[in-house]
Amino acid sequence: MSVRPASVARLLDELRALDRAYSAGHHGRWSAARRAELVDACLRDLLAEVGSSNGVALVAQGGYGRSELAPGSDIDLLILHPGADPDGVAALAERVLYPLWDAGLTVGHAVRTPDECLAIAAERLDAATAMLDGRHVSGDPATWPRVRDRLVAGIRRDPRGFAGRLRDDARERRERHGSVSWLLEPELKEGAGGLRDVHSLGWLSAAVADEPGLAGLVRAAVLRGAERASVEAAWEFLVRVRSALHLETGRATDRLFLDQQPSIARAMGFEDEPGLRAVDGLMRAVFEHARQVEHVRRLVFGRFLRAGSEAPEVEPTAEGVLSAFARVAREGVVMPAAELDGVEAAELPVAIAWTEEVREAFLRILREGERGVRALEAMDRIGLLVRLVPEWGPVRCRPQRDPYHRYTVDVHLLQALAAMAELLEGRDRAEPMVAEAAAAVHDRDALLLGALFHDIGKTGEGSHVPIGARMALAAFDRMGLPDGTRGLASFLVSEHLLLSDTATRRDLADDDLVLDVAARVGTPERLAALYLLTVADAAATGPAAWTPWRATLIRELVAKVQRVLERGEMGAETAERLTERADALRELLAGIEPAEVDRFLLRMPRSYFLTIPLERIVEHHPLVSAPIGAVEVRTLAGPGSRPGTYGLTVVAADRPGLLSLIAGALSLAGLSILTAQVFTTEDGAAVDLFEVEGAFEHEVREERWREFRNVLRRAIEGRLSLEHRVEEKRRRYPAPKVHTPVEVTVDNVASDFFTVVEVGAPDRIGLLFDVTRTLAELHLDVHLAKVATYAGRVIDVFYVRDELGRKVEEDPQVDEIRRALGARAVA
Amino acid sequence: MKLVVAIVKPFKLDEVKETLREMGVQGLTTTEVEGFGRQRGHTEVYRGAEYQVDFVPKVKVEVVCDDDQVDQIIEAIVKAARTGKIGDGKIWVTPAEQVIRIRTGEMGPDAL
Repeated sequence: MSVRPASVARLLDELRALDRAYSAGHHGRWSAARRAELVDACLRDLLAEVGSSNGVALVAQGGYGRSELAPGSDIDLLILHPGADPDGVAALAERVLYPLWDAGLTVGHAVRTPDECLAIAAERLDAATAMLDGRHVSGDPATWPRVRDRLVAGIRRDPRGFAGRLRDDARERRERHGSVSWLLEPELKEGAGGLRDVHSLGWLSAAVADEPGLAGLVRAAVLRGAERASVEAAWEFLVRVRSALHLETGRATDRLFLDQQPSIARAMGFEDEPGLRAVDGLMRAVFEHARQVEHVRRLVFGRFLRAGSEAPEVEPTAEGVLSAFARVAREGVVMPAAELDGVEAAELPVAIAWTEEVREAFLRILREGERGVRALEAMDRIGLLVRLVPEWGPVRCRPQRDPYHRYTVDVHLLQALAAMAELLEGRDRAEPMVAEAAAAVHDRDALLLGALFHDIGKTGEGSHVPIGARMALAAFDRMGLPDGTRGLASFLVSEHLLLSDTATRRDLADDDLVLDVAARVGTPERLAALYLLTVADAAATGPAAWTPWRATLIRELVAKVQRVLERGEMGAETAERLTERADALRELLAGIEPAEVDRFLLRMPRSYFLTIPLERIVEHHPLVSAPIGAVEVRTLAGPGSRPGTYGLTVVAADRPGLLSLIAGALSLAGLSILTAQVFTTEDGAAVDLFEVEGAFEHEVREERWREFRNVLRRAIEGRLSLEHRVEEKRRRYPAPKVHTPVEVTVDNVASDFFTVVEVGAPDRIGLLFDVTRTLAELHLDVHLAKVATYAGRVIDVFYVRDELGRKVEEDPQVDEIRRALGARAVA
Repeated sequence: MKLVVAIVKPFKLDEVKETLREMGVQGLTTTEVEGFGRQRGHTEVYRGAEYQVDFVPKVKVEVVCDDDQVDQIIEAIVKAARTGKIGDGKIWVTPAEQVIRIRTGEMGPDAL
């Protein structure tokens, strides 16, 4: 084993000392330059030990050439030689490089003649840019400046071509590595907005300016002073994070993985703040800097490659500035430097007032979708957006750490805006129902605003939906939006999770659930708007948020709610009535614990609260509040709607055929059924309401009610054959005189949840019993029934499902229902 | 050891998860799946537009357990996932030959 040369030993000591001299978070560009200096000194010593260099030069290139060596960076060396003595050069390279390799340093090297340098630079962009950063370290001093001059001259012959290659490279890197400005695990070096983008600005200056680096770009008027400052700041910051990452991991990794973030945040001095944890503070700063780099890089390349376009004068008012951005949004261009100068010179107040003109310009920007988003980003980068919408501040660069979201909150909001605009343009034909929904919403500004603000409440404190609703409303009020737009947009912010939460977590076969959603939504337009926002939100979240699985569930819910609204089963007015009645009931039931009243309100079907008079509901409460036994029957009789009729309520555990048992028992007890309404509670109790009259006498006495209860109980317990008894009773009386035909219809269109069976027949003893018995025999469960008698003719409507909860849709079964009921209902 | 696979209605997942956790099941895997059984697909209609839904969204729950736990787990899933209506799902059980905890290398019941 060879003895380690003193120069290399010294280098290792000094590098180690440098690493230890500062905390991991404080190795910025100064440290990086110092590291390069130490390597320079070592290389000079090594070359001196070899002796005569024979026209050979050691050239630092790449990051080493820029004097930007992070703790784990490669040392990228070019050994430049005249070409006369290849063997001698190889021997020399070995004597310089081996001690470094033996010491564990990562040294990459290329051995080239000047002509080879230029040939490879023409062929490979990375080789060309590495050499653009080249710096003579040791050996023959004359060759490298000549190579560099020829390299630069070559680039200068076609500066746009070179800039184009740099831009394409940036695009490729973005595709491969993503963006440092929002990825939770960003690639600090190669990612868009990362260090490579900073370097590429330096390389561009070789093509456009005599002065190297960012100063050259300023001189060439493609980089503005403020932009240079922000890039310099980002450069320093990103080098610090990258160096900290190398020191923390002991490896040359450039991806900032989640595991490392806490220790790096600590090393860099970030602390937990209210609403923002230290790691989020770190990532927010990474995003903020990378975003500036990305933005400035795009502007600079845009300006250079599209030079020559006229920069319009900017009127130095909020109106003028907003109009300028609305124009670049419409034209889909990058704002020229001179115009941006004009915008920044316009000394706008810290909080910009929303005049009508400002509002119109802002809305014009939103209407441009993707291009509008570019304009909003530009407004954000110069601090204009937060002055316009202060609510934007807390969501800027805010990381989101959940399995679905990929973007920061503000990027997600902008993506949602772009996605919404795309849905409205109708370009996305793949998504069913989107075109129909878009056609149903007239106020498109409200949709765009809803998308832009839906997550504005993600401030790190508390539940984001109510907070966001308040913040959005404040912003909309400041904007002075028309009432309709303001109303729809703030509705969207408040309810943006309603569809996806309900569809994935609740039972869509529950009709009352659908009614409740319909009540909250109110109108078909709002439903369509909410569906569009749900799709746009998911599209802007990431691929995991809009799976076919989720989409199917959400569409099922939307379609069901739409039909409930179309049929008028629920709507804004009905919803209001429901709320009013619930409030009135709470007052009437004031003596009862509020939680118990709420339970009652949830257990009973919505149709019950909408159709039954309040005073009767109050009477029912004690009947249904306690759990009911399997064979228990509770009844309540009172005066009916007119003299001589009685209101009867029967509560029992629901079972197949219960309605027929009650109808039969009423018949046997000598009670005629005038009307009937059947409800089923959430937990399977039947609440059946009848309007009855005595079949034989005007006044129904207590013994008749008692008889009814006895018969029903015995029937439920199976100790009495109603079929036999009712038939016997019927034969004792003459058939009805009315001879109208029996009509049976089976309707599957009227409801998403039930098959609606309607029976029209002449009234007679035991008719309802026969009809409901037939339904029970066919295993149909009656969920809701309305029975009405008009002058000797009875119209019975039943909402039924089969025992598995399905509608009856197969023809043979529908036919069987028709035939059986038709036969049984005859006199 | 056994692998218990259950297909349940999406909104029943929380109940199933809770019930299993309460009875001491340490881990389970869930997947969003689509398919059909006796509950076939259907046609959805919205504002006059029709489209066919061939598969019904469900959640698949997978639990690996010791042989003597199988019955208890099945019973718990049935209880939690049952609505009595069409599409409540299915459960099936297959033998699991080997289970390895990747972190520690533990094998068999130790890895459960």
